[in-house]
Amino acid sequence: MLVSILHRATGDGMAVVGLALLVWWLGALASGPEAYETFTWFMTTPIGYLFMVGLTWAFFTHMMSGLRHFVLDIGAGYELDTNKMWSILSPVIAIVLTVGLWTFLLLRDGGLG
Amino acid sequence: MGDGTSIGRVRGLGSSHHGAHHWLTHRFTAIANLVLMSWFVFSLVLLGDYSHASVTGWISQPRSSVAMMLLVANVFWHAQMGLTVLIEDYVHNSGTKFGALTLLNLAAVGGGAFCIFNVATLAFGA
Repeated sequence: MLVSILHRATGDGMAVVGLALLVWWLGALASGPEAYETFTWFMTTPIGYLFMVGLTWAFFTHMMSGLRHFVLDIGAGYELDTNKMWSILSPVIAIVLTVGLWTFLLLRDGGLG
Repeated sequence: MGDGTSIGRVRGLGSSHHGAHHWLTHRFTAIANLVLMSWFVFSLVLLGDYSHASVTGWISQPRSSVAMMLLVANVFWHAQMGLTVLIEDYVHNSGTKFGALTLLNLAAVGGGAFCIFNVATLAFGA
């Protein structure tokens, strides 16, 4: 139940917020360094980081529940204990991947900004 | 619609036989998204330097631009399908639903075209 709601919320959330930022990012890149400067300024504000970390989490959550859906779509994984285990593990693995990726990025690039 | 018998009330209102195609295309684009988004995340993480010069230098390489254009087309397609299902599930007034789906398709095709054009601009070094 929760995994299903999360799948829809993260997918449709990315479809709106993620694609709006993708449009801005590519538009700014093509417009030149000044427009790109405005984009990077916004993305490195606390709200910008909230967007980036939020989208990373949404991406991994949607990816994990999507992979789970593929398994269920081929008719496997409906045993109660297996089904329950992956419904818990999918969002947990997504959080681990999100924390792991951002820990790596922040350690490598030496903090925010 | 029939004369009010059980079968008459439902006859002709059944499956429009388009659901399976939508459902399958959603899965096909999901598989392509998994491949393209993995490429995108790995490339961005490995890039490290996110200055304008570095990012445009990376994205204007033929391999990156082609992958990026495929990603844009595929992600917008998959997103359009997901939002279509959302609208169909929660917007019940047929006029509002028609309007919402129309706006969604305009935004999806327009946004995708804008993104692909920008990648092309970078690739051809304008």
